[in-house]
Amino acid sequence: MPDMSAIANPQQRQFNPYAENGGTILAVAGADFTVIAGDTRQSEGYSIQTRYASKVFRLTDRAVLAVNGFAADGNMFVKKVKQRLEWYRHNHAKDMPLRSIARLIQTMLYAQRFFPYYVYNILGGIEEDGTGAVYSFDPVGSYEREACRAAGAAQSLLQPFLDNQIYFKNQTAARGYSHPAHLPLPDVLSIVIDSFTSATERHIEVGDGLEMYIVMAKGQTLPDAVTNLLPEELPSTGDGERVFVLKRDLKKD
Amino acid sequence: MSIMDHNGGSVVAMAGKDCVAIASDLRLGAGAMTVAMNFEKIFPVTDRIYLGLTGLATDITTLRDRFRYLVNMFTIKESRSIEPSTFAHLVSSTLYSRRFGPYFTEPVLAGLERTPSGGFKPYIAGADLIGCLNFAEDFIVAGTASDKLFGVAEGLWEPDLGPEDLFETISQTLLNSVDRDAYSGWGAIVYIITPEKVITRTLKGRMD
Amino acid sequence: MDHFPTNWGRPKYDSFDTHATYPIHNRGHAQSAASNGAVQHTHFSHSKSALRQPIVTGTSVLAIKYKDGIMMAADNLASYGSLARFKGVQRLHPVGDYTVVGASGDMSDFQYLQHILDGLVISEEANLQDGHTLGPAEIHEYLSQVMYQRRTKMDPLWNSLLVGGVKDGKRFLAFVDLLGVTYSASTLATGYGAYIAQPLLRKAVEGREDTLTEHEARTILEDALRVLFYRDARSINQYQIATITANGADISGSLKLETAWGFAEGIRGYGAQTQ
Repeated sequence: MPDMSAIANPQQRQFNPYAENGGTILAVAGADFTVIAGDTRQSEGYSIQTRYASKVFRLTDRAVLAVNGFAADGNMFVKKVKQRLEWYRHNHAKDMPLRSIARLIQTMLYAQRFFPYYVYNILGGIEEDGTGAVYSFDPVGSYEREACRAAGAAQSLLQPFLDNQIYFKNQTAARGYSHPAHLPLPDVLSIVIDSFTSATERHIEVGDGLEMYIVMAKGQTLPDAVTNLLPEELPSTGDGERVFVLKRDLKKD
Repeated sequence: MSIMDHNGGSVVAMAGKDCVAIASDLRLGAGAMTVAMNFEKIFPVTDRIYLGLTGLATDITTLRDRFRYLVNMFTIKESRSIEPSTFAHLVSSTLYSRRFGPYFTEPVLAGLERTPSGGFKPYIAGADLIGCLNFAEDFIVAGTASDKLFGVAEGLWEPDLGPEDLFETISQTLLNSVDRDAYSGWGAIVYIITPEKVITRTLKGRMD
Repeated sequence: MDHFPTNWGRPKYDSFDTHATYPIHNRGHAQSAASNGAVQHTHFSHSKSALRQPIVTGTSVLAIKYKDGIMMAADNLASYGSLARFKGVQRLHPVGDYTVVGASGDMSDFQYLQHILDGLVISEEANLQDGHTLGPAEIHEYLSQVMYQRRTKMDPLWNSLLVGGVKDGKRFLAFVDLLGVTYSASTLATGYGAYIAQPLLRKAVEGREDTLTEHEARTILEDALRVLFYRDARSINQYQIATITANGADISGSLKLETAWGFAEGIRGYGAQTQ
């Protein structure tokens, strides 16, 4: 039987310039550090394209960018941001401050307002005043500074969990006590690992591997509990902020 | 928007050590507009079985009445009260009888099942709108905040929680999930079912 | 003149193709448009870009990492819809001294890419003395930029490409498609191969990339091609294999797959029927 619907409603297959490549990213700011994490699975539909494709990229000694959504746009966007930061370095003989990178990213995203980069960005790092910071963006550049943010395929699974564990939402401190405004690094790493383990369990597009970037403020050292996890330190240009990478396996099914 | 999301609302059930818990929010909406903040979605079936219904409010009411009738008939005919596992299949067959014109609701049930030795075993189950049963050992979620509930419950739940710890776990799971869902919230109600008693607590939640 | 081959030899009112299989292009519907008075775009009233689609297509390309480098395989068929149109097409293309590009999807777009890549290699020869040569990573980066730019212009090159090679003792294997999406892994497959061959390749290769011999790698790819030939209706049992090692790239001549059809006799509806 020929397909009669072709006659009923003539149509052209229109080229779709976007794809959705799964995965999830997450960032948490501490008092003097920031953790930026992402899983390493890249997928399209039910197919796993690769079990190792990074979504988290170091931009400077104190800025790390996580990108999630359409992988081709994500990689292109990171490439262009890095290029702009290099030009800035050549012009000003210093790295661009974090809040300026955030504004740069907004303008770069909004420049594509009518053919957007289909990418959710989370920028993490250390502010000029030495505090940890997270900036999150939508695909067309709306952004705000926050203490924590999840984005991507498992955003809806992770964000309420972070509300509870990072912001202590719906928890009342005991009489005479108050909740800490910032958690210590080992606690944050535990929450990040638990978050991705949970997301891997309940979301098919999340899994395979976990990459956690840790940006430490100037003069801060890793706590022993974190040093024992054997993070890799990335080479930095000066004796300021330091960036470490921690990798973990996630379930591959 | 799906008809399943029209009225909003969410339910979660969790198994503990010799106890189960089931909880829901209290919102009733019409699309984005909230029309009531006291719409309970969990109903007692026996002293040891509670049934939560999410989805289209009119079907929630219909099914609540229908299951009350069916369980009454079972009790009269059998001269005994229905067990959770039996009730789960009653739910399943009732929903499947409307396979091609379904009730737009996803039921969640929590109860204590009698064991051959005379004790009680935690029993939770869920089903989709046409009655496909899901027997989980840990937790069951349903409703407009189901994806959030999955994420938080997966992070907070652990095996063999006692009644009070289970209450805290299910309450935190529900409250934090519905706070990220525009279609659920406006307070919550929690039932903890133990062999001795059922504890009912109403929770105050965000009203925005 | 009707430039669309699928319209040739058909009555004009035959607006549907009874033999249609993807990717034969949709034919125009001038009649129905005229009758309901709606504005109907013909093939030429739009920019060509929004309406493009693959015509003559190649199916899966497979590639794996092994001990000495990269091995890549593709069959020799270029299909025209369901018609096995060109049976001696080479879909593996050497670029420079270290790289092979394998293509599935539209073969004319692939020929254009071969032209571009050959031009690139020639222009690089002009400054050989700079001490730099294009390796597989550079070829892949270049290709992915070309593919991404064309998708951004809404005029994509309708291919999925594998790029494999060895340079400075490092193996490289990566993918790029018409959207500019890229990724890398120790086994890669395009088209139907992503569904049928990739699970077989992963099972055979993952964790053994540094120990697999050339013979083992060849067997793995041939077995995967054989399964594809049994199940992919757009494949053929003639193929080529490229090996890229420290010694350079070598692309075999056209080889024949050994297949067995004895089982068909026992399956009702598959072999000749006696009842």
